[in-house]
Amino acid sequence: MEIKTVNMTKTYRLGSSMITAVDKVNFEVNEAKFIAMVGPSGSGKTTLLNLIGLNDSPTSGKIFIDDTDASLLSGSKRRKIRLLRMGFIFQTFNLLPTLNALENVELPMALAGNPQKEQREKAVRLLEDVGLGRRLFHRPKELSMGEMQRVAIARALANNPEIIIADEPTGELDSKTAEEIISLLFEINRKEKTAVIVATHDEKIVRLADVIYTIQDGELRLRG
Amino acid sequence: MNGSGDLHLTAMCLRNLFRRKARTTLCIAGIALAVMSTVTITATTTSYTKAIREMNTLFTGDILVVSKSQIVLQALPISGGNLIETIEEEVKDIPEVKATVPLLFVFSTELRGTLEMVPINITVGTPPGNWTVLTGSTPLRAGGKWPSMDVVDEIVIGSCLADVYDIAVNSTIEIKGRNLTVRGVLDTRSAILGRIIMMPLKTAQEIYQYQMLVSMIVVKPEVGVDVKEVADRIEGKLNNPVERIKALTSDERNSLIDPLLDEVDMWNLGISIVFFVTSVTIVTLVAMINVSERRRDFATLDALGASFSSKVLIVLTEIGFIGLLGSIIGIFLGIIATVIVISFYTYIPIQMLFPDILTIASPLLLAKTVGCIVIASCVAGLIPAIAAAKTSIADILRAEY
Repeated sequence: MEIKTVNMTKTYRLGSSMITAVDKVNFEVNEAKFIAMVGPSGSGKTTLLNLIGLNDSPTSGKIFIDDTDASLLSGSKRRKIRLLRMGFIFQTFNLLPTLNALENVELPMALAGNPQKEQREKAVRLLEDVGLGRRLFHRPKELSMGEMQRVAIARALANNPEIIIADEPTGELDSKTAEEIISLLFEINRKEKTAVIVATHDEKIVRLADVIYTIQDGELRLRG
Repeated sequence: MNGSGDLHLTAMCLRNLFRRKARTTLCIAGIALAVMSTVTITATTTSYTKAIREMNTLFTGDILVVSKSQIVLQALPISGGNLIETIEEEVKDIPEVKATVPLLFVFSTELRGTLEMVPINITVGTPPGNWTVLTGSTPLRAGGKWPSMDVVDEIVIGSCLADVYDIAVNSTIEIKGRNLTVRGVLDTRSAILGRIIMMPLKTAQEIYQYQMLVSMIVVKPEVGVDVKEVADRIEGKLNNPVERIKALTSDERNSLIDPLLDEVDMWNLGISIVFFVTSVTIVTLVAMINVSERRRDFATLDALGASFSSKVLIVLTEIGFIGLLGSIIGIFLGIIATVIVISFYTYIPIQMLFPDILTIASPLLLAKTVGCIVIASCVAGLIPAIAAAKTSIADILRAEY
């Protein structure tokens, strides 16, 4: 999957002032690389990831998905790309509180219309892979922070995405758990050949990433 | 979305409702209360108006001759002066009159010294042989028969009286010190005929001290004549300074009571609308609170690739479930309340009303109530549902940073 942005800008109104969250960003990912985006809070990391993940639309500039202008895609096609080709990991996990770990992982497969038996088998395997084979039927509130993020990672992998977009995946975790989650993400990147884009403050991720970008006031720069 | 996706969403909806037990319970209780009130008021008033409308079918096509001061509720002379019995002969002399039947009505509205809204029983006196003028084709229960022509102390009673007071065929009852033998029990569910005591006219006149008096004369006109013209002729012939009467056709009797019944129906409708709007408001409020509390969940579903329709469906399923459960509970409570109210006013034991429950609260009314509440709940949930479906993860995360 190739994602390319050309002079992509996102502005929005905050009270009476206009904020430029992302400023003329040119960015490209076309290989299964591990990309880190580093920047302080409020620098525009989350907005950039939302734009790349087709969860938001740029105010100006373009996003191309496999050479197709994303602004020309219907809502339904954007939804299908998110569902089938991308996986999302959030800082605060965003698990659905009324579903257990297994059902949370099954959900993207169910939305994709996969057969129920296949969903169940794959969800069990994914949760075992992230070390939660014994926590399948636990609800999010019964899991630790680290376990919740593992469920979120398993959910992100459910439909075999070509790219995983992770927004500060270790932001809520203690250092030991954060290290485990980082290892897991690198393992996925290497084993599954899945591109991973991570917005982070975590220096450990930065040290291990293939490509590092810094973002400041919405401007993205490749770190040498 | 396929079946398994639907299953996930349905499971999620039901668990969401279960997770907020107090709110869900209060919402269901609110709807149940509104439905219960609607069912109770509608079913109770409908059963009363039905009983009143039913009266007119007793003498359809006939002319009722009553005293000018008599208040006639459909077919029943409920209050006012009586007529001298001999008037019947004068009416019979009119050529267009085929037959006449004098009737004496005595309403007993007292129970243990207290005046009641609904008559406890209605005594009807008529010359032997004319029993069916009032009862039509209503059969008698097994073992019963109509009183003999020449016996004065035999009666027929309605099924409601027989059941409430446990009176069997051929048993004897006492009315104002006179022993009467029950020869038959009318097998009917009619509110009027069910509490009737039919006896020979002379017997009724003697028991109730109405010698030579009748409440009304039922006039059957000849076939093919204009009923209104016959009524006018009766009034023209019999109205004089001594005797002032009125001859009412079916249409005239209807026109006296129909506006009143229509008004009752309008009140019924108005009250139902108020309760209906209350239910819809409750549902909308709860849906809005549920959605605003779970914006993150909806945004997550959006980010994961859930379709617009599946997100709308989540809210509508939750709301529809609340509406369905609330209306079913409300109907159940409404039926019980209706039976209690009717039993309270009619003195019919509750256990005797239960077999007639679907007559009192018709299946159509119940189905319409459930249908309306569920549909209205879904309509009321549409705006919150669309709001939920439009929630994007970008908006949620932007609000957080």
